[in-house]
Amino acid sequence: MKERWSPARVATGVMMTAWAALFWFLVLSGRELLYVSTRTKWVVPTGAVILTTAALGRLWSARTEEPEPTGKREAWILGLMMVPVVTVLVLPPASLGTYAVSRRSSFLRAGLAANPADITSGPLTLIDIASSPVTALGQKALQQKAGDKVSFVGIVAIYPDTSADEFYLTRFVVTCCVADATVAQVRVVGVTPGRFKNGDWVQVDGDFYPLGDEMLVAASSVKTVPQPHNPYLTP
Amino acid sequence: MSTGSTIERRTAEQIAPWRVLATVLGALVLLAVALRLVDPVRFAWSSNFLLVFNALLIEATPFILLGALVSSAIEVFMSPRAFEVLGRMPRRLQLPAAALAGVAFPVCECGSVPVARRLAARGLAPGAAITFMLAAPVANPIVIASTFVAYKGQSILWTMVLGRILLGLIVAMCAGWVVSLQTKGQLLRPRPDDTLEANREHSERRWREYFGHVGNDFVFMERFLILGAAVAAAVQTFAPQSFINPVAITPVVSQLAMMGLAFLLSLCSESDAFVAASFVQFGVSSQLAFLVFGPMVDTKLSALYIGTYGGAFFRTILITVAAVTLVGTLWIEVLFG
Repeated sequence: MKERWSPARVATGVMMTAWAALFWFLVLSGRELLYVSTRTKWVVPTGAVILTTAALGRLWSARTEEPEPTGKREAWILGLMMVPVVTVLVLPPASLGTYAVSRRSSFLRAGLAANPADITSGPLTLIDIASSPVTALGQKALQQKAGDKVSFVGIVAIYPDTSADEFYLTRFVVTCCVADATVAQVRVVGVTPGRFKNGDWVQVDGDFYPLGDEMLVAASSVKTVPQPHNPYLTP
Repeated sequence: MSTGSTIERRTAEQIAPWRVLATVLGALVLLAVALRLVDPVRFAWSSNFLLVFNALLIEATPFILLGALVSSAIEVFMSPRAFEVLGRMPRRLQLPAAALAGVAFPVCECGSVPVARRLAARGLAPGAAITFMLAAPVANPIVIASTFVAYKGQSILWTMVLGRILLGLIVAMCAGWVVSLQTKGQLLRPRPDDTLEANREHSERRWREYFGHVGNDFVFMERFLILGAAVAAAVQTFAPQSFINPVAITPVVSQLAMMGLAFLLSLCSESDAFVAASFVQFGVSSQLAFLVFGPMVDTKLSALYIGTYGGAFFRTILITVAAVTLVGTLWIEVLFG
């Protein structure tokens, strides 16, 4: 019996090819860090290779003696499965912003505590500050750093009850992918009122002071900076 | 005249599916143009939704495909006799042996249902076949790897990985023990298409059949992942912390809520850890309840169970798995919470 192209198999092969193209696009454009952490970005090139292999295999096996029928419903389901691919390829790149801050847990709640030895031995990071209050040892390590010069990059978050000369410098901490992002924040005081708005990327230089549970930076300089290539921190 | 009209009808039947596919592709092009014009990234909520939605898919899709590649290889290339050694074991050893066999074989929950049926039909004790069916999707190597990747870097990493394996095996063996009270005749529904499948297996070349299975499995599972990712993204975009936190910190309620969510989302076990890890408001035990209960009982499996084993079997599995998972995760809450 003569072999013919099976519409169902071709359609599935095209859908898998579209997904493979998405993964290659992320690898080549470097945009994978908008979605996954540095820890798990290996998944993207791996996915590109196995999706390409599976898509080629599916298309190779698409000629058959008994082509399966394709219903309208199946065709539209395959179409819907390509919608995520279209959204990533067509829309401009974006990262989590201040809208997500109110809908995310703080970094503390995720049970990720920094090692007190790391805090005392090296320069302070936003992750150290956000996670250390979870343990007494962490709090003690932060107390030893009182008055240290710090320099952090993050986005500006201003709440309704935030004073005019303050904001919260915010960074999202991503362990696996953006879906598990948690919020690391430090209060910045001594800012020129009205100069910055929610969502601005800034670099804050100043002195660090732990005041009980509140961590703050007395700013000596705050300047606008472009969004970093990797907008998220990895614990 | 009649021959001519028959040829025309056949040609029309052959062209119709291609027309539908062309329409779908056209709709996707229109969608791309519309998205470019509207640019939903301008709106904070839609930008947030799309980021979380796409991130979950990008992280989990390779694991779905990996699962499809391996389970299709088992389906096409592995002899059913590989499992017959289980059937020759003493009955009292069959349950733990079947659970451990589940750890070794990377079969997802949808793939494990027909495999378990085939095992029972070939003489394995029904309880052992069901233990394998429930254990394989929770504790197979690909699921363990994806759980490891999802929780890597967190202090709860090993609690989640080992807790999922151990609790999964315990729940599977308990359910297998309950089902072992039934005979094979009570458990299995006759399937008239068994012969058809066997014939088809011989009529196609194996590699073509293999990639056919891979494509079908991928399409079947990926659609549920897309649905699950959409629900998870919607929760993270629209549900305020003030609503989620009271549920997340109330014992029993939080575990039941996550089990209910797992049932509704029907995620593939090879990708569900990424979704579970995104519910950072919920504690270790609630996330484990999601990861153990979901691969054993969910909406898509309900249909498969009822179709394969009948409604009474489904009710037995639902009650047993829910009860043992709840008790097990509450113990974990006491020990590690």
